[in-house]
Amino acid sequence: MLLKVNNLETIFRMARGEVRAVDRISFNIKSGKTLGLVGESGCGKSVTALSIMRLVPDPPGKIAGGSIELEGNDILKLPEKEMRKIRGNEISIVFQEPLSSLNPVFSCGEQVREAIVLHQHLGRKDSKTEAIEMLRRVRIPDPETRYKNYPHQMSGGMRQRVMIAMALSCQPKLLIADEPTTALDVSVQAQIIELLQDLREELGMSILLITHDLAVIAQMADTVVVMYAGKIVEKAPAGKLFSDPSHPYTQGLLASMPGYSIPGKSLPVIPGSVPDPVKLPPGCRFSDRCGKRIEKCFNEEPPLFNLGDSHFSRCWLHNKEEN
Amino acid sequence: MIERKNRENKNSLPCSGGLWSEGWARFRKRHLAVAGAVIVLLLYLVAIFAPVLTPYDPVAHGDIPGDRYLRPSIEHPFGTDKFGRDVMTRMFYGSQVSLSIGFLAVALSIFLGSLVGAVSGYAGGIVDAVIMRVVDALMAIPRLFLLLTCIALFSRSILLIIILLGATGWMSAARLVRGQVLSIKKKDYIVAAEGLGVSGKGIIFKHLIPNTLTVIIVSATLRIGGIILTEAALSFLGLGVPPPTPSWGMMVFQGRDVLLNAWWVSTFPGLAIVMTVIGFNLLGDGLRDAFDPMHFT
Repeated sequence: MLLKVNNLETIFRMARGEVRAVDRISFNIKSGKTLGLVGESGCGKSVTALSIMRLVPDPPGKIAGGSIELEGNDILKLPEKEMRKIRGNEISIVFQEPLSSLNPVFSCGEQVREAIVLHQHLGRKDSKTEAIEMLRRVRIPDPETRYKNYPHQMSGGMRQRVMIAMALSCQPKLLIADEPTTALDVSVQAQIIELLQDLREELGMSILLITHDLAVIAQMADTVVVMYAGKIVEKAPAGKLFSDPSHPYTQGLLASMPGYSIPGKSLPVIPGSVPDPVKLPPGCRFSDRCGKRIEKCFNEEPPLFNLGDSHFSRCWLHNKEEN
Repeated sequence: MIERKNRENKNSLPCSGGLWSEGWARFRKRHLAVAGAVIVLLLYLVAIFAPVLTPYDPVAHGDIPGDRYLRPSIEHPFGTDKFGRDVMTRMFYGSQVSLSIGFLAVALSIFLGSLVGAVSGYAGGIVDAVIMRVVDALMAIPRLFLLLTCIALFSRSILLIIILLGATGWMSAARLVRGQVLSIKKKDYIVAAEGLGVSGKGIIFKHLIPNTLTVIIVSATLRIGGIILTEAALSFLGLGVPPPTPSWGMMVFQGRDVLLNAWWVSTFPGLAIVMTVIGFNLLGDGLRDAFDPMHFT
C-alpha cells in the first residue's frame, strides 16, 4: 500500500464558525493504481489534496486529526524541512489552472529545470538536458525551442504539459492531479488524460485523480471515492461504481451525465444545493436533497456500510439489521 | 487563402522572442519613454566623459576680476560663476555626483526595502505585523530633519549622504514590495512551487522578488529623480556635498544671490535637475508599460 489516509480531518476556522472541510475520511492507494476522488465543488476534494501535501493555508486551515501514511510513515508527524523533501520528490501535485500555475517571469524550461535541481544534484548543463527530456516525455513538440518559451507564449494544454513535466521531473511515487483537465477544452482534455495514463505506466506511479467529471473517472480510475459535504459517501472499484451505484447521491450524479440519460429528454438534476458547511443537517448530509430518504435520515448520521467486494456506501438503505 | 492565413498565424504567434526582446519592442513604440531613455543615457555619457567634453577645470578658480560672472558665450556656453569657473564644466562634473548619489542611494534603499518587504509579506501573521509597525514608526520620522541632524553631527561626505539617503528611503520600498508579495503569494504558481518542495528562501528569492522586479525597477527609476532632488535640496541648504566638489543643488544655491544679474549661474543647473527628474520619470513609466508581465498574461 503506497498511501493510507486514515480518519483525516481538516478544519477551517472562519468568522462564522468552524468548517470541517474534510471530515474523517479514509482511503488507500495501491502503488501503480489510480484512485478517483469525485464530488461537486466545495465538497472537500481539493482540501484533501492540499492536506496530503500539507499545503493547507494555515491560518485559517488546520489538519485537526487522522494520519496520512506514505509507505508506512505518517507524514503529518514530519517536520516541515523533511516534508519539503517529500513534496515534488515522493508526492507531486498538478493544479487545475495551468494558466496561473506557472511563474510568468521564467521560461517554461527553466521552471522544469528548477524542479529537477531541487531534488537532484545535477549541474547546469545536465539539468537542462534532463528538463528538455522531460518536456519531450510529456509530448511537447520541439522541446529544445519550447524550453525558452515563457508561459504566456503557450496554450493552455501546453502549459498543463509543462506543469505535468515539473511534477514528474523527480519521478514521484504519487501524483495528485487536482482537476487537471477542468480548465482545458474537450479535445485537449482527452490528450492530457491519455498522457497521464501513458506516464503512469511508464513511470509506475500512482495517481490520485480529483475531478467532478465522471467521464474522466471512468477512463482512468481503478477505485472511486465519492465525497459529499466533506464526507465519503461511497467507495467502490470503478467498474462496480458505474454498474451498480449504491448511494442515492452517486446515482444522481450518474443520472445527470449526458451519456447515461435518454436523448431528447432533459437531463435529470439533483434538486437543491450543497448544505451550508457551518450549519450541516444533524442526520445524513444529503437528506434534504435525497429522493429516497426515510425518517431516520433526518436524525441519525449513517455509517459507511460495507456491501462486500470493497464496496462501501453511507446510506441507511443498506442497513441490513433493520431491513 | 489558406497559405495567407497560415502566415498570419505565424506572425501573430509570439514564439519568436523572449521576454526582453518583446518588452523592448513595446518600449520602442513609446516615444516619450524613448525620449526619457535618451535623456538618461546622455546624462550618464556626459558624466562619464566630462573630462573629455570640456577643456576647463571644474574646481580651480579663474582669473578673478576678469573671468567673474561672464555672460554665456562661445568660450563659456553657460557663462562663468563667482570664481570665474565655467558653469557648463561644473554642471558636467556635477552630474557625476548627482547621478552616482541617485543611483547608489536608490540601489541601497531598494535592496533593503525589497528584502524586508518580501520577508514580511511572505511570512505574514505576527512577523508581518511587527515589521510593518516598525516601518510605520520609521516613516513618521521627518526625513529631511533626520538628514540635517546626521550631517550636522558627522562630517559631510558623499558616502555619508548616500548611506543616509538610502537608509531613510527603504521604508516606502518595503511597503510597496510587501503589497506586491501579498498578492503574488496567493497565486497558484507559488502554491505549485511549494508543492514541488521549494523552501521559503527559494520562494522569496526565486519566485516572489523576480515577480516584483518590474514594480521595483519602475519605482527605483521614479525614485532616482526624488533622490536627486533631495540631494539638491541638501546642497542648497549648504549641507550637501562639501565644496568645492560641484553639485547641481549647490550651484543653484550659489547663484541665488545674483539671480537678477547673472541668471545663468542658477538657471542651467536648475534646468539640469528638471531634465534629469523628467528623464527618469519618463523612462520609469515606459519601462512599466513595456515590462510589467501583469499587462500581457
